[in-house]
Amino acid sequence: MEPEVRIEGLTYRYRGQQKPALKGVDLEVAEGEFVVIMGPSGAGKSTLCVSLNGLIPNFFRGKMEGEVRVGGRSTREGKVGEFAQEVGLVFQDFEAQLFSTNVALEVAFGPENFKVERGEMIERVEKMLGQVHLEGFEKRTPATLSGGQKQRLAIASVLAIEPRILCLDEPTTDLDPVGKLGIFKIAEDLKDRDDVTLIVVEHETEETLDADRIIVLRDGEIVADRPAREVLRDVELLQQSSVMPLQVTRFFHEMGLWQGQLPLTPQEGAAEFRRRGWRVNQGRHGRLVGADAKREEGYGEPVIEVEGLTHRYPNGVVALEGVDLTVRKGEFLAVLGQNGSGKTTLVKHFNGLLKPTEGTVRVGEGETREQGLRQLGQSVGYVFQNPDHQIFADTVADEVAFGPKIRGMEEGDIKERVEEALAAVGLEGRGEEDPFGLTKGERQRVAVASVLSVRPEVLILDEPTTGLDYAEQRSMMDLVKGLNEAGSTIIVVTHTMWVVAEYAHRAAVVREGKVSLQGTVREVFAEEVELHDAALRAPHIVSMGNELGYPVLSVEEMLEVTEEKA
Amino acid sequence: MKEIFTMWRHTQLVVLVALSAAIYAAVLIPFKGFPIVPGYIELRPANAFPIVFGLLFGPAGAWGSAIGNTIGDFVGGTLTLGSVGGFVGNFFLALLPYKMWSVFLRRDENMETNVDSSKKFGVYILVTILASTVCAVIIAWWVDLLGLFPFRLFFALVFFNNVIMAGVLGPILLLALYPRVKRWGLLWTEIIEPEEVSSSRLQRTGAILVWVGAIGSVVFGLIIGSFQQALGGVGIALGLVPFLVLILVGAFMLGGREQVEAAREQIEGETAEA
Amino acid sequence: MDPSLYLDKDTFVHRLDPRTKMFLLLGMFALPFVFLNPLYVLAVLALVLFFGYLAQCLANLRRIWFILFMIILVTPTLWAIVGSGRTPLFLFVEREALLYGFTAAQRIVITVIAGMIFLSTTRNEEVAIGLVRLGIPYRFAFAVSTALRLVPTIVATGLTIGQAQRSRGLDLDSGNIISRIRKHLPLLVPVFVTTVRSTNVFSMALESKGFGAGSGRTFYLHVAMGRRDVLVLAIFVLLLAGCIALRVAGYGGLEGFTR
Repeated sequence: MEPEVRIEGLTYRYRGQQKPALKGVDLEVAEGEFVVIMGPSGAGKSTLCVSLNGLIPNFFRGKMEGEVRVGGRSTREGKVGEFAQEVGLVFQDFEAQLFSTNVALEVAFGPENFKVERGEMIERVEKMLGQVHLEGFEKRTPATLSGGQKQRLAIASVLAIEPRILCLDEPTTDLDPVGKLGIFKIAEDLKDRDDVTLIVVEHETEETLDADRIIVLRDGEIVADRPAREVLRDVELLQQSSVMPLQVTRFFHEMGLWQGQLPLTPQEGAAEFRRRGWRVNQGRHGRLVGADAKREEGYGEPVIEVEGLTHRYPNGVVALEGVDLTVRKGEFLAVLGQNGSGKTTLVKHFNGLLKPTEGTVRVGEGETREQGLRQLGQSVGYVFQNPDHQIFADTVADEVAFGPKIRGMEEGDIKERVEEALAAVGLEGRGEEDPFGLTKGERQRVAVASVLSVRPEVLILDEPTTGLDYAEQRSMMDLVKGLNEAGSTIIVVTHTMWVVAEYAHRAAVVREGKVSLQGTVREVFAEEVELHDAALRAPHIVSMGNELGYPVLSVEEMLEVTEEKA
Repeated sequence: MKEIFTMWRHTQLVVLVALSAAIYAAVLIPFKGFPIVPGYIELRPANAFPIVFGLLFGPAGAWGSAIGNTIGDFVGGTLTLGSVGGFVGNFFLALLPYKMWSVFLRRDENMETNVDSSKKFGVYILVTILASTVCAVIIAWWVDLLGLFPFRLFFALVFFNNVIMAGVLGPILLLALYPRVKRWGLLWTEIIEPEEVSSSRLQRTGAILVWVGAIGSVVFGLIIGSFQQALGGVGIALGLVPFLVLILVGAFMLGGREQVEAAREQIEGETAEA
Repeated sequence: MDPSLYLDKDTFVHRLDPRTKMFLLLGMFALPFVFLNPLYVLAVLALVLFFGYLAQCLANLRRIWFILFMIILVTPTLWAIVGSGRTPLFLFVEREALLYGFTAAQRIVITVIAGMIFLSTTRNEEVAIGLVRLGIPYRFAFAVSTALRLVPTIVATGLTIGQAQRSRGLDLDSGNIISRIRKHLPLLVPVFVTTVRSTNVFSMALESKGFGAGSGRTFYLHVAMGRRDVLVLAIFVLLLAGCIALRVAGYGGLEGFTR
């Protein structure tokens, strides 16, 4: 039987690029399959997606060799609009895909283009909204939806055309844990349908367990195309492809188990641990806990003190209520919570962007109420989540020089600081480049450098790892860790839990405007029930450790404390 | 003028109309800038945008500026019947720069609209002055015809607003934005096909007509107008009509195809090399 | 904050066909120009306010009150200086010129309020359909309604960018005029770049959902001219005719005013 998708020898080079984005790709996907595509940034995953519905070669101006057949038809024949009935494509950037004034109209847009009769359209809209768990949302404005809901809406709007193949390009990257779960649920429901072929590009290894096959792409070539569980057990392959291996799997791999035996989940891991009679060496574990305590003592004076902070927005919504928090010099604090919990609101009080409605926030010498934004910016640097919201200069050096220049420093000083900042983020020598020619990870570093050049004591980073692949995330966090070790106080707002576990010292969990949990990361992550209530999930290795009764924060720690039976 | 209709076949240009309209409107509203007399006399940084949009997005920039100005009036609360004048005026404000560009720059030179040489900067200033004049004439004429404002006052207002903003901010914006827009493949010259754009056969004549019409309206409107007070406002309104006709006819004769052909050659050159 | 003006209510005005509302809007541009006498124009203003009351959208007036206030203040002053009339009041100001100023101010206010009522009671998609049903090509209507939809999003992005740059020390309020204008660059460039950058994804998403696949399309929204629409339009036409008749008969003018 003819496979739904047949790709033969696909090579594609974008206009103006030297290297091809895809090289000799051969791929077949059968009807009803659930296939996951993984790989590092720039591997060609998105390029592969857009070649499925004819955007390549009809929308982009580049050179294509080879053939892509969807449902038997080649994508070279016919316009993109025609293939849309066979292949539904959902892009990563959900904001840029939504443009209607209410949810129902957004979902109806596709069918409208295909002249679906009105009565049927109304039925389809209802059905699709049900499929993505947005029942009853017809009249809502897309702008008022959460990130997760917007992405589900985008999926519904594509499903409404009733395509046979659905391709999702990194659907969960910008979402918080709750949002991610919502998408995974939909994928699960869809996978059970035989009439829908599902192709998903995904970084989150934890959610690919249910796939039929995983395809690993690197540098435009397919390096693996095997059943999902097999690929997930191939730890080395994943690491070489900048994909984060499952922590439990990696642990057992490092302990020497043979590939076929590797457990994949915390439950499987804990069971296997016990089955082999391994134990956690209490002495070694105690030393880890002791190291935590010692580090706590090593912190300096409080640099930020928050007492009874309450923030009420002009429209009456209470974003924060009675928050108490102290940040000491040299700390590395993670502020956790789902979107809308108030975590960003809290952190915006630290550099003066927001002032408390009640309570006090002291930074350095005095209250933030009495200091201006510029003054506070000198001691507290804030790196916004999206570097493109800051970058405006023609060269990297000019961008980084902005802060010092605005403060009227001398030419010589400015130059020195720019060099220093660029070196700190690993971009030395790149000063003359155009920031928009850099990759997203590099642009994020430019944003960090441009805040560093003012030499603030405290650095706040808002979701620094979003949109980066595993290798880039490690790279970014290592950089931040380096800054912390050199003396900066770091506050990271994030919901990437493994990053918190491996890099942060202390954590504060924000839930519905209140800090529900505070302490060292080890203490906080031991409270899995509380985390769950705040819509967060501990990383797999942490869960496994908790299950065994000994909180650990990383695979390395687990390895350190494990004793095989003598 | 062909391209202002044919552009609608291209999805990216349709989107660019919407986006340039939305950016223009969005920047007009909160960045109200420096109100000297709110609602009337404001220096609005956004006024630099139509010329930039025209040079980058061609006809999409023209439609976008026109629609954006109207939306800005609606939502910002400065809507009057005079906004019709604003629509047409802003349309020409963005249209004339890209049309006149090929009058001053030949095919064998670099025709790109990034003002990176002193010659191009000179052309930019010239083109800005012309476009600002025509825009101001159209709006001020309309507003005078309706009896809302005297021509002299409104002309000066619109003219200086446009010229100052486009002159101060425009070149820097273009220098910053051109390479990025080009990288994303969104220059109008690279999206539209040469056959879809007006040919440049009559552009010399067209250019002369437009200049004559523009200068003529200014002279008539400002100088002669003050002596015609006795006849009331209607005198200016009627008297300017022949000049406006000149401008319109001249605009129809302008071209633009060469810029698209030049861009095509560049793309082909790149693909061939590789 | 949702900066769009649309208020999702179910009033008689909301239920009118968008084409009816467009005609009424255009009509409101014409009606105030029939009369020159400020008292007559005041009646028109009252009518518009009543309509706004029916549409339950007068709350939106709050958002533009400052502009309206300045218009009411400045316009009469302007015309008092520039215009001339028969009866001198004080200094060089004549009575007729001042009265004309009030008329001009009211005309502007009327059109602003009419526009606001229109936007408060009409969805962007209704605007698009209305335009299409009037014969305007779909793509143009789509561009207009998309632009309307995007304005609040871009304003929000602009505010975020403003926060980010202010955190880095950008201060927009100091310096002379030229330097203040230049200081807007760190705001304008990122706004432009972030928005235009999404063009490609947006275009791809549109085409991926069939935009431009063929000609013609169906509509989810149902718009049809009902009896109510015909009635409202008829009343308006009669009103306009009546006003013109009044004016021709000599009422509502302003004697002795010249510009």
